[in-house]
Formats: sequence, structure tokens, C-alpha cells
Amino acid sequence: MSAEAVAPNTNGWEPKIVAFCCNWCSYGGADSAGMGRFQQPPSTRIIRVMCSGRIDPLHVFNAFLEGADAVLVTGCHIGDCHYVNGNDKTKIKYKFLENVAQELGIEKERLQLNWISASEGERFANFIRDVTAQIKKLGPSPLKPAGVV
Amino acid sequence: MQKGDMFVGWSTKEDIRKRGGSGGLVTSVLAAALDKKLVDAVVVLRKINEFEAVPVITSDVNEVLKSAGSLHSVPSNFAKIIANKNLKVALPAKGCDTRGIIEQSKRNAVSLDNTFIIGLNCGGSMHPSVTREMLEIMYKIKPEDVHGEEIEKGKLIFETKDGKEHAITIDELEEKGYGRRESCRYCMIKIPTNADLACGNWGVVGDLAGKATFVEVNSEKGAKLLQNAIDAGYVQVEKPDEKGVAARAKIKGAMEGLGKKWKDKVFVPMDNRLEYFRKELEHCIDCGACKTVCPTCSCGDVSKCTEYHLRGDAYKMSMYHLIRFLHLADSCIGCGQCSDVCPVDIPLTRLYRRFANPMQEQLKYEPGMDLRKPPYFEAKLEV
Repeated sequence: MSAEAVAPNTNGWEPKIVAFCCNWCSYGGADSAGMGRFQQPPSTRIIRVMCSGRIDPLHVFNAFLEGADAVLVTGCHIGDCHYVNGNDKTKIKYKFLENVAQELGIEKERLQLNWISASEGERFANFIRDVTAQIKKLGPSPLKPAGVV
Repeated sequence: MQKGDMFVGWSTKEDIRKRGGSGGLVTSVLAAALDKKLVDAVVVLRKINEFEAVPVITSDVNEVLKSAGSLHSVPSNFAKIIANKNLKVALPAKGCDTRGIIEQSKRNAVSLDNTFIIGLNCGGSMHPSVTREMLEIMYKIKPEDVHGEEIEKGKLIFETKDGKEHAITIDELEEKGYGRRESCRYCMIKIPTNADLACGNWGVVGDLAGKATFVEVNSEKGAKLLQNAIDAGYVQVEKPDEKGVAARAKIKGAMEGLGKKWKDKVFVPMDNRLEYFRKELEHCIDCGACKTVCPTCSCGDVSKCTEYHLRGDAYKMSMYHLIRFLHLADSCIGCGQCSDVCPVDIPLTRLYRRFANPMQEQLKYEPGMDLRKPPYFEAKLEV
């Protein structure tokens, strides 16, 4: 990883970001980001799911409660779902999730939704880079349990 | 008789007229439905004293007749009582009971075709223990001496056994923290238009005031229920006064305005919400009572909110409450049962409404008011 790809470090703290990626699009997008050698910070932990519609709000809450600084929900573009309408359901669940996060007082940067197709490697890398920079500015998540870095 | 018709009616039985509120129409309609085999069972409150009653499912007409009379300080919700029972049943229901029943039917726990809902106009109910305290501190009377209570012209009136009446305005009581339950103060459903019949004393004017019930027929099922009671000779109805209809609409408007005012007062925007929620929930003992009584929840014993929650988790927020917050965002009806039963007095309804208010407004969805599918279960978001 080249030096300029990583944003300036804040007291040695690196955010931990959990990214849920659907098998058919955004996971492929992450793959092509690597193949195309688009630089991105090593802050994400990718969790592959078969469809973004499988991502239950429970998974997102669990990620936050276990100490994630941000959670990304990614999937195929609307209309491109491998399972016809899985991402339409994601959209509904995300709307509710967003509401809970907002009312709870979690900054909106910490929970983000993005549609990334398998060919959009650069877009995936840029997304991760942007989110990492935003979270570095915000600092650790208020939901992080004691003792978790 | 058809949907949209309005009547003023009363019971033909002298005894029920005397014991029941506003002419005892509701009691008589229930008894007639049971008597003429329109339904197999009826849900009523078996009164213990002024502050305690047990909801019972009964097929005994005498039990129904015995239940005549209103209890303002027994906040019950009948939705969960008839859920998963597969009964042909008639029951009296406040706005929130009705909403709970309709939400249960959307979750396949109640069949609306087999349920006759007699809606009751409701300006609010009171918590029994708060009422006892209020009687001692504000009214200076012993709770045991209370014989009856009534709400009239914004005043809460208690009648003692010696026949004396004690009245204090509800505004004054609520300023001191007594009076109606908090969820009732900001409730916006005063006349249950979602029930089969909407009954109440609002709109009864002239000589009949206090002696009759105003009934609005909201569905064909409701017409059937009322017609049955008339045919069986249990009730008598007549056309309402024009003035009465106007008065009813005026009271409804005034109550809704008051509800709106309370809503703005309770749900003020605030900073540092995470700390607020953590502080409110820190005494939670994981008893699960809020879920057990919740009239819209139908998951049963094995549910997402309990199965993924461990007491030993050193999390900053309880997973149980996070999932409840999310699940109730579209389906909370604001009935206040959760706050009532909480053993450590967490104002849960207020917390749930914080999440539900913006979501339900945004989705233009009022749970329990019509048969629209909850947005969370839709395949595609319409709004």
C-alpha cells in the first residue's frame, strides 16, 4: 500500500469498518478493486452475504455493539439484483435502520448504503477511502464496548 | 341500517341502565350477541374493586350483565387476550385495543371476520397505583371509599360511598403528574372509527344526557351486531339530534388538539440522545414483560429480540431493546402497556414513540387504523 493512499493517522487509531457485501455485485466490486490495484485503506472487514436482502438489521446492530466504528451495507444496483428484488427489501430494512440509528444519536456517516456492481472496483475503493476519512474525523464509535480497540 | 349511520340508544333493562354508564348500551349489545348465538364468547372485565379487574373470556350472559359500568383506572388491552384462540368473539375496545386487534389480524393471530369490535370513545385511562396516590394526595379521600368515577367537562369526579362528589380539573391533575397515563395524553385516536361500532356519551344532548349512548356504525359487521341487539329486544335506538352530532365532532376536535399539544410537549428534540436512551434503559432487568403485553407483537416465546440477547453481553445498548425499537418503528400503536407493566418504571412507550413518530409520519402509515400491510413487510417501498 502506498503512503498517500492512507489518510494521516490520528494518534495511531485506525477505524474498524464492517462492510456487508453481496456475493454477486459488491463482493465482486471489492475483488475488482484489488485486481485493478485501486488503493484503499486496510480499515474494512468484509462480510460476504449471498444477497444484500439477507442483511438483517440484527447483523448491523451486532456489528456496532461488538465495536465497529462504521457499518456499510452494499449490494447490486436497484433492478440488477441476482434474486430479482432482494435489494428492494434491503432498501426497506435500511430505511428503518437509518431511522433507529438517527434517533439513537449515531452519526449518519457511521451507517451507509451504497449500490456497487461487480465492475465498479474503483467506486468501491473510493467509497472505502471516503468512509475511512469521515470516520477518522469522527473518532471511535460511542457504542464501542470498553476494552475493544 | 348501514355503514355511516348514527344512533342514540340505551338498554331496555332497568338494572343495566342503572349500573352501566350512559344507558348501558354496550353491555346490552354484548349480552344480545351472546344470547342470540351471534358469537361464542365475549371478553369483559371482571371487577374486583374500583382499581382492579381481570379480563375474562366468557360465554355466560350473566357474567356479561354483571360487568356493566366503566372503569377508568384499569388500563387493559384485549388484543393479546383473543390472539391465537380462534374464537368467534365480541368485545368492547378502546381505540388502542382496536388498533391492537387489527395489527394482530395482519399477523394472522386474529380473524377479523370472527371478531366483533365495539369501539368505545376514550379520552384516556389512568394507572391504578397512580390513581390511588392521587386520591390520597389531591382529593384527600381514601381509595377504599371510592364508589364510582366519571369524567365530565374536563373534570375528574370521584364519588365516595357516603354519596359526596369530589371534582378536580384534569389539567390541574396532570400538571402535578397525576391524571391520565402519559400515552393517553398524546393519543390522537379518540373515536375508534376503525372498530365495527363506535360508542360513547359524546353527542348525547338534552334530556338523554347521561342516560344514553351515541353509536356510529362503522362497518356491516357493526350493523349486524346492533340490529341483532335491537331485534332481540335488548336495546332501543333513535335518530340522534343534529346538535348532538355537532357536539360530538367538537369534543373530538378539542381532544385531538389537546393530544397534539401534549405530543409537542413530550417529544422535544434533544442532543446526546444515546446517553438519554442508555440512562433510561440502564435499570432494565430483562424480564420481557414489555414484549409479553405488547398488543402488536406476535412473535411468541422464540423471537429475534430475545434469542439474540444475552444478559452477559457487555454491550452499551441492549440488543433486545434495539430490535424492539426497530420492529415497533412501524407498528407501535402507543397504547402505553409497556410503561404500565415495567417493574423498574422505564418510560418505554415514550422511548418507542421516539422511533415510531418520525417513521410513521414519513411512511404515512397509521398502524391498526386500516388493513394496509406494515411497511416493513412490503416487497417494495411505496412511499
